[in-house]
Amino acid sequence: MEAIVIIFISALISLFLGIMKKPTLVLLVSIVGLLVGALVQNYECYFLNEKYHVLDFNDGNIQFLNLAITLTGVIILSGYKHFMEESATIGDFSALMLFSLSGGLCLIGFKDLFMFFLGIEILSIPLYVLAGSKKKSASSSEAALKYFYLGSFATALLLFGIALVYGTVGTFDVEKIGFVSMLFTDQLPSMFFVGVLFMLAAMLFKVGAFPFHFWVADVYQGTPSVFMTYMSSVVKLIGIYAFYRLFGMMFPGVETFWSMLIVIVIFISMFIGNLSALNQDTFKRLMAFSSVTNGAYALMAVLTFSSESEALLVYMIGYSFSVVALMTINSLANNDEDKLVSLSGIGYKNPLIGVVGIVALLSVAGIPPMTGFFGKAMVFYQAFEQHMWLVSFALINSAIGVYIYLKIAMTLLKKEENAPIIALNWSQQIVLSVSLLALLFGWTIIYV
Amino acid sequence: MELLIIPFALGLISFLVPKNNIRFFGLVGSIIPVILTCIHLMDYMPGTWIELYRCDSEIPFGLTFTLHYDGISLLMLLLTAFSFPLIFLSNYNRESSQSNVFHALAFFMQTGLFGVFLAGDGVLFYIFWEFTLIPIFLILYWFGNGNYTILVKFFIYTMLGSLAMLLSLIWLKQHAHSFSYGDLIAANLTEKEGFWIMSGFMLAFAIKIPLFPFHTWQPNTYSTAPMAGTMLLSALMLKMALFGMIKWMIPLAPEGLECMQWIVIILGVLGIIYGGVIAIKQTDIKKIFAYASISHLGLIAAGIMLFSQNALTASMIQLINHSILSIGLFLVAEILISRTGTQDITQMGGIAEKAPKFAFWFMIISFASVSIPFSAGFIGEFLLLREIYEFKLSLGILAASTLVFGAVYMFRAYQITMSGHKENTQFTDLTWNEWLVFCVLGILALVFGLAPYLIGDLIKESAQQLTLIVQNNS
Repeated sequence: MEAIVIIFISALISLFLGIMKKPTLVLLVSIVGLLVGALVQNYECYFLNEKYHVLDFNDGNIQFLNLAITLTGVIILSGYKHFMEESATIGDFSALMLFSLSGGLCLIGFKDLFMFFLGIEILSIPLYVLAGSKKKSASSSEAALKYFYLGSFATALLLFGIALVYGTVGTFDVEKIGFVSMLFTDQLPSMFFVGVLFMLAAMLFKVGAFPFHFWVADVYQGTPSVFMTYMSSVVKLIGIYAFYRLFGMMFPGVETFWSMLIVIVIFISMFIGNLSALNQDTFKRLMAFSSVTNGAYALMAVLTFSSESEALLVYMIGYSFSVVALMTINSLANNDEDKLVSLSGIGYKNPLIGVVGIVALLSVAGIPPMTGFFGKAMVFYQAFEQHMWLVSFALINSAIGVYIYLKIAMTLLKKEENAPIIALNWSQQIVLSVSLLALLFGWTIIYV
Repeated sequence: MELLIIPFALGLISFLVPKNNIRFFGLVGSIIPVILTCIHLMDYMPGTWIELYRCDSEIPFGLTFTLHYDGISLLMLLLTAFSFPLIFLSNYNRESSQSNVFHALAFFMQTGLFGVFLAGDGVLFYIFWEFTLIPIFLILYWFGNGNYTILVKFFIYTMLGSLAMLLSLIWLKQHAHSFSYGDLIAANLTEKEGFWIMSGFMLAFAIKIPLFPFHTWQPNTYSTAPMAGTMLLSALMLKMALFGMIKWMIPLAPEGLECMQWIVIILGVLGIIYGGVIAIKQTDIKKIFAYASISHLGLIAAGIMLFSQNALTASMIQLINHSILSIGLFLVAEILISRTGTQDITQMGGIAEKAPKFAFWFMIISFASVSIPFSAGFIGEFLLLREIYEFKLSLGILAASTLVFGAVYMFRAYQITMSGHKENTQFTDLTWNEWLVFCVLGILALVFGLAPYLIGDLIKESAQQLTLIVQNNS
């Protein structure tokens, strides 16, 4: 609760500082706001033990809150250069990201469908603006418009679904709905199932899974790098975790109904994401399709809900930090053309970039001893008991994925003597080192 | 624990050492693991399990962190430790020996190999198994010809096999309390489950060994790889797979052994013949040795699947012998290639006249390779053939063709390159480091040929324990 308020206030302050043209101060306030918010929330969670009715952070989800806040901080740092170049609008951008994050935090802690809907709206609306933030670029405007139309449509579906579920059960409280769906599974009217279906469709849109994945590639490509990183790491993390909690807590009684659908969705998403990524030559589009695939793997966790949710946490640490690291490297080396070829030899000439790049790629490909491997292994391991064939196909997809990421790794590490030597400023060094640490040791969080 | 930390630390230090001292540092540094493993050997009582490290805290998902070794693992540790100085020494005056990155990667590779042989936990084994792939891939990419397609094929192929192994591990864990070695062995499976779990493991190992239909990555990878990379691959990395078969695959899922036995032995025997025949027709010197390797390893894999005490002992002797040979043969290949500037043996000839020392040592290595009596190969091959013969007469006879094929392709290669007469060719004789490597290898081959009990005594009791486990569980 406190974290949301603090982050919201720091966003407001940075808006005003932006008007006063103080770019460094804006970043400082944003970062400090994030830090303080996370600290206060952790303090409250572990020492005060207060309970709220609609929004609750406890042992189960506080780690996701920390991860989302850390990622946002890292992304703001990685966009330092980008922000400084457009110092006139820096206040808007960082404020919008923080507004969006505070909506995301509602989604992490919701216990009520009302809060859930509010969270999804606050998360999405700033994103529509951020997607179009490069005003002079046609593709950025296209991305914003596309994202806005499709996103609004999905929200409408979600609202309709919520209304139908509410109409059946008569409450917004997630736990009560879960209770009812467990006790009266046989007596539920078909209205309830239609509601579940609509909510499922909306959530699949938000996490970019088949058959609602078409927006992902275009929107990601058009959006400026920093915000695309935010979308594919933080928003993805929050979306999948909200999905996970929503279906795990609310509809356990009718699991047979939706789990079959999700299995099919996962199965097709994996293949679509991977096969589309095979021959991409622009980096952002490749990452977009890779996010479809990785989202599908993460959805496997939805099939096996448990209140611990360590598997999903480790998986998302691995994936989101890989995205942050790779996108940072890409924006270092690439101009607007965003070609994969222009990465050639960067990692060979710049040791830090090379090490971080290969660790990130190995992690996202699921090769030990990186965090991505542990996450993937744990998610697959949990899903194996009930969905053996799905896991087998997921492993085949991992092998296809290895080819895709290996291709990038080989481009990055090519022995090219005249590749540019890139000077890293302090913020980029911090981003790369934090990502490296998270990718190497992030999995140890299961010991905590 | 220090067996893992020291090579890793050496790898990190390699980045800091000045460039003109790095090859000396590599050579001296690689002696340290040798000393360490020798100390372990001194303290070792055959047949016991030594636990090096155990993490007692409760970890979710049944991951445990345990390092231990028995006789077989210890032999593999010794093999790994001793191979590195030899590889560095043969690499001493090549281009890659000037590189810090090369030495760091090699030491990381050693860490991974030690980890594979020490692992006492299924996931840990898998982690180290995959970890070795990364340094070797970078060595091949940066110091070899850098052929994109071949490298990608190599990486994806081995990765696919490993994922099948991961699937098997996850499956096996459904029946076990945790991923630790003891718990995985205690798991009870039906015959059908045993077979499928075993085939997951076998796919990973068959690709790495490589067995007959899964070998297509190997000859090309060998022929484009730098010498040190080829040596690491064939002397050490393939041995991981054979070790995995003995220590992990068969004891973990012995229920499937009866069914899988036939498949692997027949593939192995096919590989013996196929590798031999193709090697006779090759003109690329590295490819000859690559196919020879397929031929030899088919025999070892077939022997392991018999899983009797004698067969295991013989397989281990032959395995050590193959490592000695592959370092020797690929050094020969590198000497020929770097001094004549071609990989094609028909372009060479008359080298024995110009380089008598080299001709002598090539002859010794060739003799060891065709396993004449008093070389290490003789004992191993003889015992393996006898075991297969007892298992099935016709397969034994087919497998015995390895002796004939071996003689043909080795001496053909020798004859074409060494004898004859060719004008106007420059060929400098062995340098001191090459001579030293050949000396050590020759002596080792002779020692293990005269006294195979040196290896046998170390592993006999561990092998017996494994066979007992398998008999009780199947």
